[in-house]
Amino acid sequence: MPEGSTGARSGHALSLRNLSKVYGSLAAVDGVDLDVPRGSFLTLLGPSGSGKTTILMSIAGFVEPSGGSILLDDTDITRFPPDKRNFGMVFQGYALFPHMTVADNIWFPLKVRGVSKADASAKIKNALELVQMGHLAERYPSQLSGGQQQRVALARAIVFEPDLLLLDEPLSALDKKLRADLQWELKSLHQRLGTTFIYVTHDQEEALSMSDTIIILRDGKIEQQGVPGELYEKPATRFVADFLGKSNFLEGTVGEVKDGAFTYVCGGQPLVQAGAAKHTKMSGQVLIALRPEKIALTTERPAATNAVSGQITAFNYYGSAYHFQVKTEALGDLIATTPAWTCAIEPSIGNTIWLGWEPDASVVVRDR
Amino acid sequence: MKKDPRVVFGRCVVYGLAWTVLAFLVLPMIIVVPVSFTDQYYLSLPKEELSLQHYAAFFEKEIWLAATLDSVIVATFSTVMALLLGTLCAIGCWRLASNAAESVRTFMLTPIIVPTIVQALAMYRFWIDLGIMDTYFGLILAHTLIAIPYVVITVSASLANFDVRLEQASRNLGASTSQTIRWVILPSIVPGMLSGALFAFTISFDEIVVALFITSRNVYTLPKRIWDGIQDHLDPTIASIATMLIAVTLALLLTELWARQRRRARLTARIEAGEG
Repeated sequence: MPEGSTGARSGHALSLRNLSKVYGSLAAVDGVDLDVPRGSFLTLLGPSGSGKTTILMSIAGFVEPSGGSILLDDTDITRFPPDKRNFGMVFQGYALFPHMTVADNIWFPLKVRGVSKADASAKIKNALELVQMGHLAERYPSQLSGGQQQRVALARAIVFEPDLLLLDEPLSALDKKLRADLQWELKSLHQRLGTTFIYVTHDQEEALSMSDTIIILRDGKIEQQGVPGELYEKPATRFVADFLGKSNFLEGTVGEVKDGAFTYVCGGQPLVQAGAAKHTKMSGQVLIALRPEKIALTTERPAATNAVSGQITAFNYYGSAYHFQVKTEALGDLIATTPAWTCAIEPSIGNTIWLGWEPDASVVVRDR
Repeated sequence: MKKDPRVVFGRCVVYGLAWTVLAFLVLPMIIVVPVSFTDQYYLSLPKEELSLQHYAAFFEKEIWLAATLDSVIVATFSTVMALLLGTLCAIGCWRLASNAAESVRTFMLTPIIVPTIVQALAMYRFWIDLGIMDTYFGLILAHTLIAIPYVVITVSASLANFDVRLEQASRNLGASTSQTIRWVILPSIVPGMLSGALFAFTISFDEIVVALFITSRNVYTLPKRIWDGIQDHLDPTIASIATMLIAVTLALLLTELWARQRRRARLTARIEAGEG
């Protein structure tokens, strides 16, 4: 079978080998090794300055790496110019050509490959149908809403059946509701096309909802990678536990270790943690991350293994949930969330409540 | 609400000043209109009646038509050359985006900074050596050099507003550098190129200092002929030429305004049609 049809369907694999990019004395990307499996949806997630965009721009060919290499199915493409890579890209801010109609924008990648507009018309139509924009083909980009422009940019990036689709924070300019809708659409588009997607974002929700694999970046290095659920449930470091979702951090001294669990003392309060006492410091200190939604809130002392009481100092109501800030004697300020319709406590400031959680609700993380 | 008299007074001063300045700028230009209809044989206001004889003189006398033709030829060719070279220079500097490119751009402005008389003198000396004194090529070359900075400035300004991501998008979608320049960059900087061309044409059409130095009999531009006309006998034909130039400029300006308004109206209509 010719490359064009089978290749796009099964997707291509991309590998980064010890990739680095140095600006002056600052390493924006610092020795990144990464394998993107065929047809997967991989997300580079990190705060600004973590190097995620630099990595994407290196893959696209707009940033020349200072070291390392980029391989597409074992072909070294590190020195290829951008126009010889055959990667589709959706830019932040869409980058639609303002002087061309929607149809001409989508024709562009075919035009530069020598396809006349008549011959390209079927493909242009298909691409527009795929993003539900068939009725707006003759509009100019300035006459479209943000979400519509986003869809056109997507159609333009896939119409020439690229080997990879690169997405640089494509949803960041849209409002929250539209962003949520487009997350569904992007995911289903990925399933229909079978193309390998590499997605860059600083929005943890986007990363969790769409990706097969998330790469968490920090200061140009990979902090942790894995499937979304694994990263959320088992963050390896304090940074991951804090960046992906929210966490309470409990720092305690390890006491007794037995039966796949150990006790630790935090602010005079004895607590139990499941698993091994990893990453302990010389002084025997251990760091525990506890998700706010895994804390049960009650008015009476609960039967949970770990229980502390405290006063509500602030709370927010989100319709579906309550977020509480609770001041405790031993553990300091904690945040806890609970579905609003099953909230078992009276949400009022100064109210004394109990917080309870089981030993396997929290995880031991590395402090870095 | 009653207005504070100080505010009213202040407003009167501001408006008064503004209108005075405007009148100062425009009146000397407008005065040539009645003068052009004079029935006398020297520059003056009409005495007995309005007359079109000085307009007729322009179209009848070979020297005026020949001078106009010379000016149009020189201005057209120097505009084309300045536009081509200036645009290439601006795009090159923009693409390099380095300190060297910035120095080149600054260096390109020297024709504006150096006094025209000094330039004219330098060209005079140099053009003799090159053997292009009093030739169309010589004057076109000189006017191109004078006009290039204006094109570089206007095109650079257009490029400064150009979204780099559009160039990246073009390359990413498979376009080579030359395809990108042709299909993406050039269409985006057309407004800058147009105003650059307009500057270049006006500057060449209007230029007299250099023309006085490096041309004599073969090339005789309109400004030079007007200069001679004033020297000789204050020929009112000059006023009629000035009036016609003002009319042409006004017509161009109004056409541009009309075109812009039509474009905007079409755009709004399209948006409304699409949403309705």
